[in-house]
Amino acid sequence: MNPFPIAWASLRRNSFTAVLFLLIVALAVALGIAISAQERALRVGSARAADKFDLIVAAPGSHNDVLFSTVYLDPTAVELLDPAITRLLFEETEADFVAPIGFGDAIGNDPVVGTVAPFVDHLSGGLAEGRLFAKVDEAVVGALSPHSVGDELEVSHGHGGATGTDADAAADAIEAGEAVPGGDGDHPHITIVGRMQPTGTPWDRAIVVPIEYNWVAHGLGTGHLPEDTHIGAPFDPDALPGLPAVVVKPKEVAAAYGLRAAYRTPQSTAFFPAEVLVELYALLGDATAIMSGLTLAAQALVVAAILAGVVAILDLQRQRFAVLRALGASPLFIFATVWIYVAAIVVTGAIAGLALGWGAAAVVSDLLAQSTGVAMRAEIGARELSLVGTLVGLGLLLAVVPALIIYRRPVVDALR
Amino acid sequence: MPGLPLAVSGLRLAFAGADVIDLPALAIAPGTLTVLSGASGSGKSTLLYLLSGLLRPDTGSIAWAWADIALLGESQRDRWRRKQAGFIFQNFHLIEEMSPLDNVLVPIWLDRFSANAKRQRALDLLRQLDVPAERDSVAKLSRGQQQRVAIARALIGDPSVIFADEPTASLDAATGETVAAVLQRLAREDGRTVVVATHDPTLKTLADQTVQLDHGKREPAP
Repeated sequence: MNPFPIAWASLRRNSFTAVLFLLIVALAVALGIAISAQERALRVGSARAADKFDLIVAAPGSHNDVLFSTVYLDPTAVELLDPAITRLLFEETEADFVAPIGFGDAIGNDPVVGTVAPFVDHLSGGLAEGRLFAKVDEAVVGALSPHSVGDELEVSHGHGGATGTDADAAADAIEAGEAVPGGDGDHPHITIVGRMQPTGTPWDRAIVVPIEYNWVAHGLGTGHLPEDTHIGAPFDPDALPGLPAVVVKPKEVAAAYGLRAAYRTPQSTAFFPAEVLVELYALLGDATAIMSGLTLAAQALVVAAILAGVVAILDLQRQRFAVLRALGASPLFIFATVWIYVAAIVVTGAIAGLALGWGAAAVVSDLLAQSTGVAMRAEIGARELSLVGTLVGLGLLLAVVPALIIYRRPVVDALR
Repeated sequence: MPGLPLAVSGLRLAFAGADVIDLPALAIAPGTLTVLSGASGSGKSTLLYLLSGLLRPDTGSIAWAWADIALLGESQRDRWRRKQAGFIFQNFHLIEEMSPLDNVLVPIWLDRFSANAKRQRALDLLRQLDVPAERDSVAKLSRGQQQRVAIARALIGDPSVIFADEPTASLDAATGETVAAVLQRLAREDGRTVVVATHDPTLKTLADQTVQLDHGKREPAP
């Protein structure tokens, strides 16, 4: 037997309703897929962004705040790390490099972050253009920064705050190794000398300056002896100011755990970004499981409602099915025709929903990536396919119900 | 395919305690046109459905040659209709979303996946009945053409028996006469057994046998 031509004709008979049912299934599936794919894109993107921040040492307090400030450049008020701890970190032999991180300034909406050249090189994996900063008034920009190599910029204190004053005098003072005139609030001009490779982090939009620039701009000295004009390590242990965070690149895995344990003291805390993210993901995971369950339940209700609609639609075609019985169609043929009718709507709707959900997640990922700077790519994985598979399976199973209802309709009554 | 003889005996069907059909005996010879006639509610359509196996009698036998379909289960009666019978309805009951050709092939799809083997026969039938096969929908045909598509559909399986329920009732007089002539030809020339429930006087005049019914009982021939 071949029920497909009859099922196709029945779909065409009520094509508007069939398309409407299909769209409802597609939208219900797309919603679930978009949420699921987006959640994973967010998780994977945020984890990748933290990859290069091996170990973070900061003042005791919220790990989340330090993580969000340091990795995602979402500044929050954090306690400053005791310079004594920073001194100890710079003396660590188990670290490849120790990178002080300073933030709080901006050019427009782009954050200005202070650190040392080895960390820029580590984060970027080599520059895409130009060179690393070699002087206090030089900077490199992230891959997505609108600024070009050679641009000269004026930094404002705080995000979106007022621009500094007497900037040139401050730059001269730094060059001369003298105290910056005006103390807090004077920001020398900076010149862009290099561009980083894409990192998939908010650092892609940052303007990265020597840490000395941050200190000078906030009236904290240069971190070096007055006559010392070089930038980066070694610093003068007695001239180091407090820092929001320090990123440490341990030489080995064992060293990483050793350092983390060593700097969990009453004066400091040390953590791997991954461990903080795992805790966040665990919370997110519970919410995701609940959302996935609710989504599937909502989709099942949609399918059930559509099946009820299908029964009503096909009941209007009961005479057609009665005629088929009169022509010799077996009940199995009628059953198969109705089942194929429903399956076509559910399967096509689910496939369309998968594509629609993927597209929606991709658009949302792009928008989120633009607003957060964290690179995200929405992908369809096993979880989404399983979600669609479960819904399709449920739909095909529930399609038995209208099939049974229609094929049990009395033939002769419908023929009269 | 040659027609089948029918022998009915002791046929009774009751609904809500009242007899709907009470037919002690009926014989139909192959190659004849038999008309079941009577007023509305006389039971002529019900008898047609009994003879075609769509309804099962409470008692009695309906023996088409060797097969007493009153004894068969539902799926066996479905199979008997697929193999031995063709059906024509008052309102044609074609599938409007299909072409005339596909409508003719519907009975083939009830049994087989591919209807390719019968495609040429379907085209021949439509040509013989003067129906344009190339139209994309039967809805674009005249009512007379639609009924001829329904006749082609009934003939595609080369059945021994043709059942027709008021086949001319919704046609104008001229078209009705054409359809009546086709039915007569199916019996006389092709040798099929044709059973028609109708009140159409034209068909009665062409019939080899008329079974006049009143409240489910056969009235004596005038």
